[in-house]
Amino acid sequence: MKLIALFSVFLASVAVIDRAVGDELSPEELTFFESKIRPVLIKECYGCHSKQSGNARGGLTLDTKERMEIGGTTGPAIAPGSIEDSLLFNAIAYQDFEMPPSGKLSDEVIADFRRWIEMGAPDPRSNPVETVQSSITQQQIADARSTFWAYQTPRETTVPIPEDQTWASNEIDQFIRAQQETQQLSPSQDATASETLRRLTFDLVGLPPTLEQIRFFEERWERDPQGAILHVVDRLLESKHFGERWGRHWLDVARYGESSGRAVNMTYPEAWRYRDYVIESFNDDKPFDRFVLEQLAGDLLPVKTDEQFSQNLIATTFLAIGSKNVNENNRVQFAADLVDEQIDATTRVFLGTSVACARCHDHKFDPIPQTDYYALAGIFQSTETFFGNPQSEYGSFSDATDKQKSTLLILPIDDPHPFARTYSVDELQGFREDMEDERRQMIASRTNGQAASKNSNRDRIAFLKRMSELSGRLASVDESGKPKTFCMGVQDSLEANDARLLVRGEIDQPAAEIPRGFPQVLTEQQPSFQGDSSGRLELARWIASSENPLTARVMVNRIWMHLFGAGIVTSMEDFGSTGQAPSHPALLDYLSIRFVQSGWSVKTLVREIVSSRAYRQSSAYRQDYHEVDPENQYLWRANARRLDAEAIRDAMLCVSGELKTEAPEASVVAMVGYTRVVGGQVIPSRGLVETLSKQASIFGDRFPGQGRPFIQQQSAFAGVRGMGQLRGAGRFRAAAEGRQVIEKITNLLSAEDETYRSVYLPVVRDAEPRSLEVFDFVDASVISGKRESSNTANQSLYLMNNEFVEARSIAFAARISAKGQTLSEQVDEAVLLAYGRRPTPSEKKLLIEFVREFSRSDSDESWDSAMPLLCQSLLASAEFLYLD
Amino acid sequence: MYTRRELLQQASAGFGYLAFAGLTQAADGNGKKQSVDNQAGETLNPLAAKEPHFPARAKRVIFLCMGGGPSHVDSFDYKPELLRDHGQPGRYGGRLLKSPWNFRQRGESGLWISDLFPEVSSMADDLTLIRSMHCDQPVHSGALTQMHTGTAQFIRPSFGAWSLYGLGTENSSLPGFVSLNPLPGGSANLGSAFLPAVYGGTQIGRATRGGGNFGVRNRGSDETVRDIRNKSMTRGQQRMQLDLIQSLNREKVLRDRYQPGVEGMIESFELAFKMQDAIPELMNVSDETQQTLSLYGIDGGPSEEFGKQCLLARRFAEAGVRFIEVSHGGWDQHTNLTVDHGTRAEACDRAIAGLLKDLKQRDMLSETLVIWGGEFGRTPSAQGVDGRNHNNKGYTTWMAGGGVKGGFSYGATDEHGYEAIEDKMHIHDWHATILHLLGLDHERLTYRYAGRDFRLTDVHGVVADKIIA
Repeated sequence: MKLIALFSVFLASVAVIDRAVGDELSPEELTFFESKIRPVLIKECYGCHSKQSGNARGGLTLDTKERMEIGGTTGPAIAPGSIEDSLLFNAIAYQDFEMPPSGKLSDEVIADFRRWIEMGAPDPRSNPVETVQSSITQQQIADARSTFWAYQTPRETTVPIPEDQTWASNEIDQFIRAQQETQQLSPSQDATASETLRRLTFDLVGLPPTLEQIRFFEERWERDPQGAILHVVDRLLESKHFGERWGRHWLDVARYGESSGRAVNMTYPEAWRYRDYVIESFNDDKPFDRFVLEQLAGDLLPVKTDEQFSQNLIATTFLAIGSKNVNENNRVQFAADLVDEQIDATTRVFLGTSVACARCHDHKFDPIPQTDYYALAGIFQSTETFFGNPQSEYGSFSDATDKQKSTLLILPIDDPHPFARTYSVDELQGFREDMEDERRQMIASRTNGQAASKNSNRDRIAFLKRMSELSGRLASVDESGKPKTFCMGVQDSLEANDARLLVRGEIDQPAAEIPRGFPQVLTEQQPSFQGDSSGRLELARWIASSENPLTARVMVNRIWMHLFGAGIVTSMEDFGSTGQAPSHPALLDYLSIRFVQSGWSVKTLVREIVSSRAYRQSSAYRQDYHEVDPENQYLWRANARRLDAEAIRDAMLCVSGELKTEAPEASVVAMVGYTRVVGGQVIPSRGLVETLSKQASIFGDRFPGQGRPFIQQQSAFAGVRGMGQLRGAGRFRAAAEGRQVIEKITNLLSAEDETYRSVYLPVVRDAEPRSLEVFDFVDASVISGKRESSNTANQSLYLMNNEFVEARSIAFAARISAKGQTLSEQVDEAVLLAYGRRPTPSEKKLLIEFVREFSRSDSDESWDSAMPLLCQSLLASAEFLYLD
Repeated sequence: MYTRRELLQQASAGFGYLAFAGLTQAADGNGKKQSVDNQAGETLNPLAAKEPHFPARAKRVIFLCMGGGPSHVDSFDYKPELLRDHGQPGRYGGRLLKSPWNFRQRGESGLWISDLFPEVSSMADDLTLIRSMHCDQPVHSGALTQMHTGTAQFIRPSFGAWSLYGLGTENSSLPGFVSLNPLPGGSANLGSAFLPAVYGGTQIGRATRGGGNFGVRNRGSDETVRDIRNKSMTRGQQRMQLDLIQSLNREKVLRDRYQPGVEGMIESFELAFKMQDAIPELMNVSDETQQTLSLYGIDGGPSEEFGKQCLLARRFAEAGVRFIEVSHGGWDQHTNLTVDHGTRAEACDRAIAGLLKDLKQRDMLSETLVIWGGEFGRTPSAQGVDGRNHNNKGYTTWMAGGGVKGGFSYGATDEHGYEAIEDKMHIHDWHATILHLLGLDHERLTYRYAGRDFRLTDVHGVVADKIIA
């Protein structure tokens, strides 16, 4: 132990000497710092602001010159040469801040600091600027660019002619058949009519076939299977449900979520606009290259109408919607993490390439040097991101939790779903008065705060919360009280700057500036940017170009995966050297070229794939083939797949006849507004209380607290999580009413009573509705190209016991018994609805026996009690949950 | 434990299971456990118990997670110099604050532990104190996440999930990783992240800041596990219904001949059905003797609540659950240290000691690794007059049973307790050591995701061999 202690003392002294020698300060400057500044920093400041003590109050550490200049939450602590911009001086002079809190420093010391800052804040504690040597050579990059398959633009190939000329029905089949022949494999027989139809409806619109569709399809299939398929496919492609299905696939990769996630989970009330934009884009068959452009640089595209402007801006929500640690103290760190998230999303979603790996060091496996990361970082650093809450002339108020505030973008269109956000001019005046009132009270509480120190911090947070909400309300409408329309998104910053490479990705270790640009391995030609353009538009154009080797391939592969259950490249977001090579490289290239030639039409590609014979193979098992190709790489059969969470929930609603096919108003989260989510529940704002009170007619005029000032009204909800922080002692007079509202608030995010399509359910990070989360819904914080398909007891418990499932079963039973059919007919119809086919004889025997036996045990002569259980059994069974 | 086959056979009525029996040979071979390294193999039941990399010292983990940052210099890290230098300026400002609690040597080993934990002190000879902990995160949420997943920067699997992934579980009626009353806002702390969902922790009871009651979570019901109870059927009726579901599922397996997903579903239904009884039964402690209850302090005293949770932890352990986490929050004393730290300790001291004693008397301690610790410790210097700030540079956790030494102190902080200086144990090292005790090599326990093999310890982690008995 002694040895170690000695050793560390030795190291420390070496370090000190090293610093002193290593910098170009004059001896006078050095003496000044060492005698006047350093001792004060150590004695007075390091306790709360130093890496050594492990404390970074307000995100601020003062250990190095760089850290002082980065500063904390509020801004740079030291701006060399400028007293005004140096918040540290502001604080020690007891201006806006008061530091150290234990007592003001002597005038003499303050004067020393003033002098030191005016001298240019000479500071020997500077991190030496390191030169980072890349381990990746230009030659390696060039080699990869010219040899690695994914970095070559897709190649035109002649469609192979397989020996077996009888099977293929389009070019896709020729590729697949020819490759099977090299392995002495042959395709499976065609799936049955019912299997094919069920596959088509779930794959294209995420719903089971209706009885009418089944009847029509089977009839047509008898005469002309291919004709039947094409007919149904065209209908399904025209359905608005297509966008709801395929839009959701995109939302998976776009890591769509309606809150910031992480420790302090703040809602994104405007996120739904992006969701609807995505759904519409797929329904309109928006060319995919245009779709890419809009999401990455919609704000920079020329427009003709306000609607178009708005759509383009909403599209850029893509860059703003990632999960964020809004609790991060340090704004520079926060900004760096935000940019990192944007780089990660952009490169993995569109390019199937992970550049974010190179934040701290060169990419370990792919030829992506660290400089490539910072070339992209410059583009995103020159972009401003909007994700928070609009603020009024009173500004924004930061409480202890959501430290990183942001505002929103205003759209020049009327909000189709303004909720309760229309105020009279009088009301607005009331808000302003409340605001002044809060401000006065806060100041009052601060001045006599010493006495009541125990509660002062909590009070202050409560004040700030209320003021923040008031400010947000004032900002959400124009002068006349009419609601403004907002969206999340991005804008170019006023000036564009290159980023400096950060050694090991650490914000206080900046090295050389890196010119903005694109990953070198993906392009020979680095772009040049005009004037103060961030380069984001150029980046978007480059990604959305037919010349880009990856964009079309990555999207084609995604579409293929959704239809076949596995990608041609199985590693959806990794087309690099650690990813999987394509099972059918020529086919992937062929389809990518076709995709571009069709005007990047997703619907055309979907149509082409589902009209292949490969798509409509049976999923039947073949043991000998399984031994040769267990992964079914050669597509000798269809892959049986478990339905995803949305399809399961939607199918239950559809089968029970309860599915509401209209989209709901915006989103639950839009109604909730900007607030924090804790433990899966929202902390209700006044706006939410009002909206709910309007909805819950039960309250009517008797709604508690109506007409009373804001603060007292909120105290009515003291029982709701988070409301305890609000002042006031009032509680609900009528307990039943209180419970109703509380229950409503408690269950808002689970949305268990809603019967609209799952894509419209609220997606608050870490508080996803159980109906989705239980069946491997995406982790909304990560880019997910492919859903998990797990089997858990949790799912079984859900299917056996959850009230949502029970309610659907009861409605399902009521639906099939409504026609007064015999038991046998009812069982037939139930199975037809649930499975898309008639029951097998043994299934039918099981089902009928169950009803008989159950009725006997329940001494129920009719089978009223048995039918809902039978229906639930169907909904819980594998045949319902799987797509064969 | 049932094999998958027995389970299917048991649940089948005239089921032609043998139709695909041949296929399963490949899966579970000749009755041997799967190897932990068989990630991509034909794992029919991903939760089946697996052989570890090398003989395990601990079969399971009970992790007592102390949220908020309990003070090491007031509990397990004896600093006579802090007493001596009380009131002197601290290294980073503020004044050093001596502990309000006296330290004494305990047991035969003579470990120094304060009077904050009188009951736990009595078990000193079973503890390994790790007095050189450090992590990278100075704030609660980040440090808690790092303690559970190794990083606060990315969303990664919890170490409970990694343990379950590595070892599977031994009870087919219960989940393999449970978290009792997890701290709020920490879903990542029991999440599986990119690991298959089946390895994620099952939350028992609701998230509470102070570690309070099992209570309301779902629609005003008192469910401790979501959807654990059926409200409209008797168990017999439900069994009839389940038989129908399982018959339909077996029809499908027969038709499809080979369908691992559906076979997994059949198993999951049986587990779920059993859980409906097993969980409430396990949570019903009426079969425990008065003696046992009072061992845990379940006698109306201050440790009643946490005592119940510790007792449940033992019951889960007994039942073969692989990883059990129990949370006890509220250790964040920036002010009012003397009273509030005292209250927090009083609410868990007897419960924890009771758990250790109970495990010992049941001969379970040797194969159960009990871990106690918070996300960081607190500063030796005062904040205000009676408080301490966060300190992630040096703090103490301890382990007991499961192959660690008893009455042993590992590592050290500097003279006042600011910073770990000797045998430093970073969270990565801590994770590596825990996995090692479970028979898992932290460098070999990998999962391939997004083209990379991920580890709990990333590229770090050194096993602290010295603490292993």
